[in-house]
Amino acid sequence: MARLEITGVSKQFDTTTAVADFTLEVDNGELVCLLGPSGSGKSTLLRMVGGFERPTAGSIRIDGEEIIHLPPEKRPTGMVFQSHALWTHMNVFKNIAFGLRLRHLPRDEIRRRVEAVLELVGLTGYGSRLTHQLSGGQQQRVALARSLVLEPKILLLDEPFASLDQHLRERLREDVRDIQQRLGITTLFVTHGQDEALAMADRIVVMRDGRIEQVGPPSEVYRAPATPFVAGFIGQMNLLEGVVDTQVFACPGLAARIPIADGPATLAVRPEALGLSPARGQGMGVIHRAVDYGSHVMIDVELPDGYRVKSMMPQSEAWTAGRPVDFNVGTIVAYRDNALIYRGAQVEEQSRPAGRRVVRSNG
Amino acid sequence: MTDLTQAAASRLLTDTNHNRRPWGLLLVAVPVFLVGWLVIWPTISAIARTVWRLDAEGNYGFNLSSYVFFFSDQYSLNNLAITLWTTGMCALLLLVICLPIALYLRFSSGRLPAYVQGLAIFPLFVPSIILAYAFIRVLGPNGMVDILFNAVGLPKIRTPYLTPWGPVIGLVWDNIPLTVLILLAGLGNVANQSIEAARDVGANRLQVFWHIILPRISNSVLVALSFSILGIFSAFTLPYLLGPASPEMMGPFMQRTFREVNDPLNAITQAVIAFGFCIVFGLFYVRSVARNRGG
Repeated sequence: MARLEITGVSKQFDTTTAVADFTLEVDNGELVCLLGPSGSGKSTLLRMVGGFERPTAGSIRIDGEEIIHLPPEKRPTGMVFQSHALWTHMNVFKNIAFGLRLRHLPRDEIRRRVEAVLELVGLTGYGSRLTHQLSGGQQQRVALARSLVLEPKILLLDEPFASLDQHLRERLREDVRDIQQRLGITTLFVTHGQDEALAMADRIVVMRDGRIEQVGPPSEVYRAPATPFVAGFIGQMNLLEGVVDTQVFACPGLAARIPIADGPATLAVRPEALGLSPARGQGMGVIHRAVDYGSHVMIDVELPDGYRVKSMMPQSEAWTAGRPVDFNVGTIVAYRDNALIYRGAQVEEQSRPAGRRVVRSNG
Repeated sequence: MTDLTQAAASRLLTDTNHNRRPWGLLLVAVPVFLVGWLVIWPTISAIARTVWRLDAEGNYGFNLSSYVFFFSDQYSLNNLAITLWTTGMCALLLLVICLPIALYLRFSSGRLPAYVQGLAIFPLFVPSIILAYAFIRVLGPNGMVDILFNAVGLPKIRTPYLTPWGPVIGLVWDNIPLTVLILLAGLGNVANQSIEAARDVGANRLQVFWHIILPRISNSVLVALSFSILGIFSAFTLPYLLGPASPEMMGPFMQRTFREVNDPLNAITQAVIAFGFCIVFGLFYVRSVARNRGG
């Protein structure tokens, strides 16, 4: 159990700023996901905590102790790499035991700890296997075991499931979460998979261009994204740009009454919050495509100015291409100047098309 | 897929394999023929000529006297010993010199490593004979170093060029590029994350080298040493121009026995013995390649 404090950390590569003035505290036993697109600085930050990159500025403390000057081998961290990074000239047992051997532990102690960690990751009896005889998922479990066996204070996971298929990824992330919670190990987890972050994290840190866009529990990040970037990055989101006039937000095909001051605004509506009903007349939009996912149908609706929005609806014969539909807008989020200004249901739905606006569908 | 289509597909595959087989064999036929003609046949012929010979009565028979002579003649044995010593010393020095260079080139980035690589590869473009004369002009008696020492009042140096170290220095210099290139290729297969993972579990730089890097490049080390040893053992130009007149390495020894002493039988015997040593290192290389191909 340990507490990680990252304060004002920056990293500059020549003229490029990878991480800028990053501050975060990770509590004992907490699993925090660093989520962001490629190049957002999340892996660089993780590598700085692991000791593989030296910050240009700032401080990194574990349990109050500054570790920034320590080389990777002296840090109380354990890292699991995206490519597993197993040593192919060693079998599974030797891979896991390597760190213990370096610490000159007695042979019996090494055997006991390796067998215990193999059991923890569900690989009992695999010790004598060579790494290339294992599947991708098993290799990742060995990589995890190799870190866990040393009982690090902080576990660092650098996109550990990126090279696995979807099914295996889902299974493994549940296993990793179970193990992390059972051991109560403080964990920093880098991913660009929003599903992974939502499924595993106690808190999500959304990063963009080396800076924090939002920090919060998954439900908050999903339901109340702090910026349009977060809204667009987490899950599917319809982002509609328009203008508020006398508390009515309007864009082509859609108008919604929201209690905010007049001016330009961006409206964000999740597909599940954008209900559809068959239009009696011309309708607010026309169905462009409906994709049946079994549990629901994802419908692309084309607005009068050609932009498309997504709506998630239960399966029905009504959702066929070319059919005019009306919108029933549920929970909405509004932004102005890159900041959240309103979250909630619209006050009163407006059915008339209005004004010049830009409509953008994200997803 | 129905049984019918499966059977058709299987037949097609089998037919394709049958059709391709002669083409594959034809492609390798020419090099195999050349190796047989220019390497294997002369080897067999040389061995046969040294062990199946005419005796004094004009009858052909099994005769090992030339080998007995070689292994009982102190001069021949000294030559073999100096060849083995030179080869072993060169192999050791090449490893000690080239491995740090290759490690530096693999794990550094920027302009300086590029220049270092250029310098390390440079001897590849210098013919051995020029290298030997450059060595003599710099380190030989009245060479540049000698003159410089003399100019500042330092005592005359005992040049290594006429000692057994002469060929060692020349051959090491000559073999640095190939050794560095092979080691560098091997180090290219060691992923950065493998090294970072080792450091992450507590290995310092030396432990990373010993436990992670060295086992992963052992094949490349073996290949590099096999190539160098094969070349050095049978080297001619550098040992001919550098080093003492006696003992001499097997290359000049064979040439002198054949041309100056006009004793083809003993020259061939020396060649067969040299080949016997070389083939041991060759087998190391073949085994290493086979192990690589086997995964």
